[in-house]
Amino acid sequence: MVDLPKKKAGIVACSGEEIPEGTVSRMAALKVLHELRRGDTVTICLPLFLAGGEGDRAFASVNPTITIDGCSRRCAAIGTEKYSARPAVSVVVTDLMESEQLPRPLGRRRLDAAGERVANKVAQVVAELVDEVLGRPAPKESVRPADDHEHEAIVGSCSCGSGIPVLRLTLDGEEYELIAVPAIFDQLAAAGRVADRSVMAELMEQVKIYNSLTVGIEAGLSERLLDEFRLHLERRGKR
Amino acid sequence: MIDFLTVTVDKFTFRVATDRLYSPEGVWAKSEDDRRVRLGLSDFVQQLNGDVAFAEVRPIGTEISDGGEFAVIETIKANVELPSPVSGVVAEANPVLADRPETVNLDPYGEGWLAVLGKAILDRHSLLTPEAYLQVIKGRAESEVGKK
Amino acid sequence: MSGEERKVIVMPCSGIGKSYGAISREAAYEVVDELRPNTTRLVALSLLVLGDEERRAAVSRDPVIAIDGCPKLCAATMAEKSGAGRITRVSVLDVQKRHRELKPQGIAQLNEDGLRMARILAAEVAGIVDQEELKTRKGGDR
Repeated sequence: MVDLPKKKAGIVACSGEEIPEGTVSRMAALKVLHELRRGDTVTICLPLFLAGGEGDRAFASVNPTITIDGCSRRCAAIGTEKYSARPAVSVVVTDLMESEQLPRPLGRRRLDAAGERVANKVAQVVAELVDEVLGRPAPKESVRPADDHEHEAIVGSCSCGSGIPVLRLTLDGEEYELIAVPAIFDQLAAAGRVADRSVMAELMEQVKIYNSLTVGIEAGLSERLLDEFRLHLERRGKR
Repeated sequence: MIDFLTVTVDKFTFRVATDRLYSPEGVWAKSEDDRRVRLGLSDFVQQLNGDVAFAEVRPIGTEISDGGEFAVIETIKANVELPSPVSGVVAEANPVLADRPETVNLDPYGEGWLAVLGKAILDRHSLLTPEAYLQVIKGRAESEVGKK
Repeated sequence: MSGEERKVIVMPCSGIGKSYGAISREAAYEVVDELRPNTTRLVALSLLVLGDEERRAAVSRDPVIAIDGCPKLCAATMAEKSGAGRITRVSVLDVQKRHRELKPQGIAQLNEDGLRMARILAAEVAGIVDQEELKTRKGGDR
């Protein structure tokens, strides 16, 4: 039986010091982490992440992350994808301000009333997104979905709300949600398995424990899972 | 080269060096020649308590009883009085602690050692093996990390 | 901000997990907005690390003061890796060691001790800025 840890969402804020919206991103993240979804979220410190923080990167590679960026430069989203995995959702404060018609905040050191209002709204949206990535309803339209390429696999959480990690992918035009695959990848990696054909039988055997597979897809799926395992190992970067 | 056992909770990985023994409070003890025992903090305890701003060991020559305080560390979160897992006499205090107490955080099993007790009596039956200490921190890690 | 304008760059780590990270940020604002507004500029670490050309050019040309909240030294490390030529490393923890009486708390909102520590740190950074300005006037960075 795969030993699966409780799923949490990593929150990555840009904290950009140069503009008020960067401070908004920071305050919103802290509100989610310490008040709204304490126990369901984990702080990802962006400077540490960018500088090579192994724990933060490892967490972000197998757990869903929500990035909160002050502006369209999207440093948190880009950094998260570059050094671990694409975030489950990317929130951009300026986008949300526009869609919700919120006033522009002033003051990057101390948020003014408008800034507080925007931060509270961002926090509320992110808190709901935390519920979604851990329980898997559809993402909000007011935020930019991180996945623009439907053919790419997504690591997320089971829609049953258990928090069990899943891998979602499209194969031959059909969408699949495969339970426990990220955790299986982790265990194979920890056991020293490499992403070549020698691991395929073991990988499929584990996957079939948790997933009922349609007759006829195994051959294609096994090739695809081998590719995904290879990507998984690359993301882990052989730390 | 030190080997480690590890446990990971969220983004935190806690390492337990396999070449020494541990008190339940997370002080490690490593025997050296001539009845000397080197003491330090486990990775779990240093991560839990945060960056060490001050670390003070009792003066050289102080007699320390088993369970008696041999050092105090001060972090942004707490002042932690450390009970010695062995009895003995303070023979050395790590000189780097005065200027670079953060060494305790950066290298808790190596350069960040705290003290050496001489004339030390190490009761192996009262201390935890690395495997047993790993089980102790496994149980505590989830609840402690949740408070961070 | 003009790409040609030469100022001392202040770059806090702004670590979000600890009070010291908040202090690094607060101190940076104190320097740039209050103490030395004409001779300093803030640079966001993440923009620099992710390759913003103007900021990379600036750090390679102008002196950088990297303010770090913990021993991991993310700001100083990433400034160096991003091509900064002249870096002064400042640690919040060093201020704590000199001011044991201060017990900073809070991240979103620093307590009074945290704000005080930030002001002390900012004053020290302002002094470093002045030294860098002096070097520049003497032509020491050419």
